[in-house]
Formats: sequence, C-alpha cells, structure tokens
Amino acid sequence: MKIASAIWLRLRNVRRGRLDRDLGDEYAFHLEAKTQAYVDEGMEPAAAREEALRAFGNPAVLRETSRELFTFAPAESWFQDLRHGCRVLLRNRGYSAAAILVLVLGIGASVAIFSVVYGVLLRPLPYSHGERLVVLHQEARPAGLSDVPFSVPEILDYRRMSDTLDAVVEHHSMSFLLFADSRAERVDTAVVSANFFDVLGVRPLLGRMFVPQDDAPGSEAVIVLSYDYWQHRHRGNPDIVGTIFEMNDRPHRVIGVLPSIPQYPVESEVYMPTSHCPTRSSPEFIANRRSRMMTAFGRLDDDATLEAAQAELSAIAGRLQASYPDAYPDTDGYGLRVSTLKGDLTSRAERSVLLLFGGAGLVLLIACANVSNLFLARLMNRGRELSLRRALGASRMRLVRQLLTENMLLSLSGGAGGLLIASAMHRMLVDFAARFTTRASEIQLDAPVLAFAVALSIGVGVLFALGPAFFSSQSSGEGANRDHSRSTTTRVGRRLRSGLVIAQVTVSFVLLVGAGLMLTSFVRLQRVDPGFETDRILSMRLSPNYQRIPDMDTLMADLDVLGERILREVTAITGVRTAALTDGFPFRPGSTGPDAVGIEIEGGTSEGLARTVDVDVVSRGYFDTIGQRTLAGRTFLPADRSDAPLVVVVNQSMVDNWFGGDNPLGRRIHVPHSGATAAIVGVVSDVRDFGLDRPPVDKLYASMEQLGFATNLLVRTNAAPMDVFPAVRQTLFGLDPELAVDRVATIDSLRDESVASPRLMTTLLGLLALLALLISAGGIAAMMALAVSQRTNELGIRMALGASRRSVLAMILGQGLGLALAGIALGSIGAVAFSRVLASLPYDTTGTDPLTLAGVALVFIAVAVLACLVPARRATRVDPMVALRHQ
Amino acid sequence: MSLRRTEPPDDARLLQGTLDLLVLKTLSRNGVMHGYDIARFIQKISRDVLRVEEGSLYPALHRLELEDLVVSEWGHAASGRRAKYYRLRSAGRRRLDAKEGRWRRMVDAIELILTPSEDTP
Repeated sequence: MKIASAIWLRLRNVRRGRLDRDLGDEYAFHLEAKTQAYVDEGMEPAAAREEALRAFGNPAVLRETSRELFTFAPAESWFQDLRHGCRVLLRNRGYSAAAILVLVLGIGASVAIFSVVYGVLLRPLPYSHGERLVVLHQEARPAGLSDVPFSVPEILDYRRMSDTLDAVVEHHSMSFLLFADSRAERVDTAVVSANFFDVLGVRPLLGRMFVPQDDAPGSEAVIVLSYDYWQHRHRGNPDIVGTIFEMNDRPHRVIGVLPSIPQYPVESEVYMPTSHCPTRSSPEFIANRRSRMMTAFGRLDDDATLEAAQAELSAIAGRLQASYPDAYPDTDGYGLRVSTLKGDLTSRAERSVLLLFGGAGLVLLIACANVSNLFLARLMNRGRELSLRRALGASRMRLVRQLLTENMLLSLSGGAGGLLIASAMHRMLVDFAARFTTRASEIQLDAPVLAFAVALSIGVGVLFALGPAFFSSQSSGEGANRDHSRSTTTRVGRRLRSGLVIAQVTVSFVLLVGAGLMLTSFVRLQRVDPGFETDRILSMRLSPNYQRIPDMDTLMADLDVLGERILREVTAITGVRTAALTDGFPFRPGSTGPDAVGIEIEGGTSEGLARTVDVDVVSRGYFDTIGQRTLAGRTFLPADRSDAPLVVVVNQSMVDNWFGGDNPLGRRIHVPHSGATAAIVGVVSDVRDFGLDRPPVDKLYASMEQLGFATNLLVRTNAAPMDVFPAVRQTLFGLDPELAVDRVATIDSLRDESVASPRLMTTLLGLLALLALLISAGGIAAMMALAVSQRTNELGIRMALGASRRSVLAMILGQGLGLALAGIALGSIGAVAFSRVLASLPYDTTGTDPLTLAGVALVFIAVAVLACLVPARRATRVDPMVALRHQ
Repeated sequence: MSLRRTEPPDDARLLQGTLDLLVLKTLSRNGVMHGYDIARFIQKISRDVLRVEEGSLYPALHRLELEDLVVSEWGHAASGRRAKYYRLRSAGRRRLDAKEGRWRRMVDAIELILTPSEDTP
C-alpha cells in the first residue's frame, strides 16, 4: 500500500508543471500570510514583504529539495529519452521507415507462424481434462498394421479390466442418409458411446448431450448436431432441438448442438449413440470379437501416468490374446499402444509447422542483422553528437539507454505492423494447418500471440541494439573534435557491417535454396502424368436409400435398373459426351488408399504370401470417360451381363508385376475370399489413382453390369463441367427423388486438392525466402550506398588521378559482389544441412540438387548486382573538385 | 543535480530530526493546519526560541507526506487563496509516540549528565 501510494505520488508529478504550480502556490500562500501579519503589526507593505521573504529562506533551493522528494528521477529521465528518441527518429524519416519496414516483415512472419505453432501445438486441448485424454491403438506389428480397429467385446473388456483409465469411449464413422425438407442428404455420422461427450468434457451449445439411457436398446433414436453442420445446413436455427429427421428409415430426434470445437477423431456432422447404428447394434456384430470397426480412447485416472496405463493395457492385451487365440492369430502379434490425444491430433502437423517456424526465425535474424547494420551506419554519422554528450557528462549507461530507447520505439512499431501482417496471413495459415490437423480452427491472434509479439519486439530491439550500442559507447569523449569518419572506430564498424551483410546473405541463401528445392519438387509433382485426361470430368457421389427396400435381391435388381437409367439419361444431356458409374476413380476424396483384395492366378506360381491388388468395379463407359487407353484385348462389352461368365481387365503394372510382362489375356484369376473366378480379357494403361506422388498400383477392373451398382458418377463434358451439373442433378432427381448427391467436384479441382499440402508449404516457404532475399538485397544496397558516401573524398582523388568511370563502377560492384559471394559460399554449407531437414518431410524433395543450388546462386548474384548498381552509378558521377572539398 | 543540493548548516541539521517531531506534535494537538499556521504555532509555543528559516518547514512536511505520516489536501484559506492543509495519519501518531519517548529518554540522559546527583562519585 505504502509503496503504491508513494509511486503514485511521484508518477503524478512526472510532468513538472503540476508539481511546480503546487509548490509555488504553497509558498506564495505562506509569504502572503506572513506579509499580512507584518502589515497588521504596522509595517509598510513593501518592507513587510521583504521581511517575510528573509524569514522564509531561499525558495528556489527549497523548491528543488521538495521536487527531488516528489519526482521519480529515473522515470523523468526515461521520459526525456523517449521524447528525444521520437524527435531523432522523426528527423531521420528515411532511416526510421527502412528499419520499421524490415522489422514489420521480420516480426510479422514470425508472429504469423507462431500463431500456428501456438494454436496447433501448444494450446491446451479445448476439452476439460484434455491432458488426461489418451487414444488406444491396437497393433499387429508383424502383420504391418499399426491401427487395427476395436470390436465391441474388446472395448467392453478394456473398459472392465483397466484401473488406470477411468473411462473408455468408443467411436466409429458411418455415412447415413438424412431426410430434411423431403430431400435426401448423406451425413457423416459419428456413432459413439453415451459417455463420449462426458469424457471429453464438452458441454452442449443447445439442448443436451447423450445420457446412458440414450444408449439402451429400444430407446428413442436421438442425435446431436455438430456446430458447422447446424450453421451451414440448418442456418443456425435456434429452435432445432426437438426437430425430427428421418434416418435409416426411422425418426431421429435432435437433442442438442455441439459448440464450435475441433472434433476427434474426425470431423462429423451428426452424432448418434451406438444403439441406433444399424450395423453396430446387431447382436451378431456385438458378439463377434473379430468384427473390428471402432476407435477407442479413454481418460487417465487422476493418479495414473501414461506409462502406467501403457504397462497395464499391454498386460490386458496379453491376457485377451491368451483367452481368445482365434481372434488374435499368433502370426499377427497383437499388442496395444496408448498415446496422448493431443499428440495424435498434432503429430502430423508438427514437423511442417516447426520447419516454417524455423524459416520465420531465420527471416527475423536477417531482419535483425539488417536493422543492426542500418543502426550502426547511423551511429557513425552520429558519432559527433554522442561524443559531445559524453563530454558534457552523460554517462555511458545513459547513452546506451538512449539508443536502446530509440530502438525500442522502432521495434515496437515493427511489432505493431507485424501483427497486421500476421492477420493478413491468417486465412492462408489456417488452410495450411487444416491439411494436417482438425486443430486448425483454433489458430487465432489472441492474447498469447499478442504477448509473443510484444516479447519478440522487445527482444529484437535489445538484440539489434546492444552490440552496436556498446561498441559505440566505447568511443571516448575526446573524439568530439576529431573528424569521425576517419577514426579507428569507423574501420572496426565497417568490418562489423560487412560481417552483418554477409550473414544476411548466408541465411537468405539457405532459405532460398530450401524454397527452391520445394519448388522444383512441386513442379516435378505437377508435371507427373496421371495417365489420363483430367480436364472436363465432373465427379459426384450418389447415395441411394438402401433402407427403403428390405429384401436384398429386389434391392440389387432395383439398383441395376437405376444404374442403367442414370447412364442412359445423363449421357443424353446436351454437353455430356460420356458418363460412367464406378466405386473408385483417381483423386477420389475420402479415399484411404488402395484396397487389398487377395487373389491368386490360376496356374501361376504360388510363391510367398497371398498378394493383393486394388479392385474397382466400373461401368462399361468408364475407360472412355476417364480416357484410359486399351493396350491389349478388349474392355467390357454389352454381352458381359450378370448371367455371362465373369471377366476382368487388368492394368499394365499388374501385367509387369504378376505376369513378368507376358501376355495375360485368357489367364484366369481366383478370389479365395468369395470363391469367384474370372477371365482376363483386356489390359489398360496405368493411372495414378491415389495421388500424383504415388506410383500406379496393381489393379483389377471388374464390370458393374456383372457385379452390381457402383456409387460414383463420372461425366465427361464438352465444355466447363460445372455448367452441366444443374441438368445432371435435375435428371437424377427425376429418376429417384431419394437419391442423395454430394461431393460434386471436377477431377481437375480434385487433382489440385491432392497437391494442396505441398503447394501451400512451397508457397509459405517461398514467401519467407522472398522476404529474406528482399531484406538482404536492401542490406547490400544500404551498405554500398554508405560506403560510397563515406568515400566520396577518396573516389574524387582516384578520378582526379585518372581513374575511369568504368573502373570506379567495377570497383564498387566488385565490393558488393564480394560480400554476396562470401555469403553464398557460407550459405552453400548451410543449404546442404537444410536440404537434409527438408528431405525428412513428406514432400519428396531430393537432397541437395546442384542445379537448384547454382540457380539460386545466380539469382542472388543478379540481385546483388542490382542492389549495387544505384550506389555504384552515384560513385561514377562524383565530381573530383566537389569531392576533394567534401569532408 | 547533486551539485545544486545545498547542505543545511549545522544548527539546521541538528534541527531536522527535531523538526519532524515538532511538526507531528503540532498536528496532533491542533488537527488540520496549513504550513503557515504550523510555523506560527511552533514559534509561538516555543516563545520564539526556535527560530528556523520558515521555508525549511515545507521539505519536512513533504517528506512526512511521502512517508505516509501526514496527509494533505488543497483547500481555501479565509483570504480565499489556495492553501494546502495537513493532517496527521495514524502512522504519524505512532511515529510521534515513538519519537517523543526517545526524545524524553535522551533529555533525561542529558539532564543526568548536566546535573549529576550526589550519589555518584
């Protein structure tokens, strides 16, 4: 209390005016009262006044004594520094603007990327007890499986037997048709145990969450909507709770809406309890230990550690394995691994985000070196002023503090500008992070990020000031009268400045090489031939209402008819060239990779294990629609009906890998799982189905006309694919109003989407590298400009003695290039190390690519020449007579 | 800045410690007073023996204020002029008690030395 009030009394008086007036008033009152007293005793007013003053003492000294008591000497001199700093910076607008611009870019990049680091990696999970949530992974290492789903009996066993977990929760994703406003739509549905939200600690935004009764067999079917789905599909209708939607041919009542939080393990639109999922609630499924479909996670008990949980759960897994040998074949080597939920959510993002953060840190370092250099140059020009102040009695600390204050002003302005840059980059960064983690939505410019920006600004201000400041404060007071531009300090300064420029070039070179490597690998990826014509193909997913017809045979027949009519009527739409139905197609969204259907070749060698292929069921027009070439034999014909012998088409890789390149036509394949056999009738070209970065896989195409309805519609058009979509949609609605249509996209856009993650990474790293290049080019230009202006004198002498303009130009350019080359040489070493880091990321960069290295070096040399050109030309225009008189 | 600070002469320095005591005592007797009245009161009570430069009262008052022993507020005197009034705080009262006790003990000790009793050899 006492300290606070004392500080307040002093702070109040930091502005002198008020204190001075108060002291003056107090003394004046005293003097006036005393004078009046003497007058009352009969003195002359003038004499009375004089006597009163004499009795009072020296008011000036008294006032100074009081003032020292009241004011806060350090604060006052700090305000002086601040005021002086502002004046100095405003007087040197060019310097201030350059320094602030560089700092804005450097700090902005760092703050922007820190917002991602914080939002994705550091921020606590938005669930209560987030740090105690763990994920269970069932593994079968020898079989190469790291994440085997769980079955109902397994989840019940872990829930019952574990003491370290106080709750075990299950989750699986389904895609159901939901009928809203009599229109069918497919919704991504999470089927969860009733304790799901309870364990996550998520409170509803509207209504309520699930309770155990909701999960009881025979209870009313209820659902909870996700925030995004509620907002976008139901326009945030506040009265949504209580609404009934038809799903799985049963009414489902909405009981609640989730708040806007990242969902785990996947983003879903609708949540339902396990007892209302048709698959999950069937008695056969519940009883079967091998019907594995679910994800399991849990919450650690208050006093349990992750290690303890791991030990206990491994032991339980061992017991289960011993009790149910049928469900856990010895050869598969089942085990259980437990990891934190936070780690699972963010591990994919970690490396890319940290790499970018490192890149931003390098840009910041360059910015610091650059501003340090500007600062140092200006310090030399201010040598006279500083020496004078030194001679007048300013302490070294006081001078350092003055310079530090000026730098703080610059770096804090830079920090404020940096926040603007960060908010401008926000959208792009969220997009980037969303490729890796559902936590992207948590990236915000909030208090922790602001605190980081402030701390960074202060740190940067100190960093770029301290070295030069101490260096300058060592210059003695005697220098005041000397010509400063020639003193030893200048020579030391120049060496320091050259070092700083070389450092800038070195670091930017490393960054630029990194960005160059990313770019070349991205361009290479873009140039990869996917094996078919990607333009003018429209794709969409069709979802018939399977629940409508309970009888399987009727359903299949119905769908066959539907498929035939869809193909016929869609092909008839003007603008449509061909159409096809298929269960797989290149760049298909939501694809998790190739199927692994085990097959055997009749009469083939049965060496090793059963091998697997990817199988697509396609309609007759598929190969024409995609534009896949027939290399041998034929594709499907109208004669290949369901009552005809089964035929398949294989791709070239399968011919190479299974038949050693021999002609496979006429050979038969056997599918042990279903017992079916089929004849190979044709070979088609390879297509990169699973992304440009994955080579074609061995593939088998079966006929939809023989095997049954496939749910993705592909349409090749004559003009822009999206233009025909309204007509296609109209036709489909006419054929079956209960047919849901979603995931509408052109193959071109899906192809772009498939490379979005490397593209964003390349863009971001490229932006950082470009920043670095600009800043260091500015650094070279500023360095050379100063050198020219300091050497005007010398240049004049040279030219007076007959040096040609050309030779002066060459000299200045040579010096600038010398700095750049030194930086490039040092940078090449760093670039090799950096390319190793890049190669560890999933972007398919080749280690150090000499071509990229040489290209980047050339770019750098060109930029350095450009940066030197302006000062060099100025040097050649030096008039010898003017220069000789120049001081 | 230190150059401009004037060292008080010996008498005044001796007085500085006692001045605080006098001011505190004056305020404890009279309640709320402005600087001029405090000076006048001290002079009148001490029958003009304690004559100090009246102005030196003010730094003393300000120091007491910063130590939270007195509190001040601005008001208007009968003449209508702005005047600063001082009042004792409870911490000031405690300080006064302590100082007064110490002063009396010192005075007693000095008295003992100046008028030695017949018992002492």
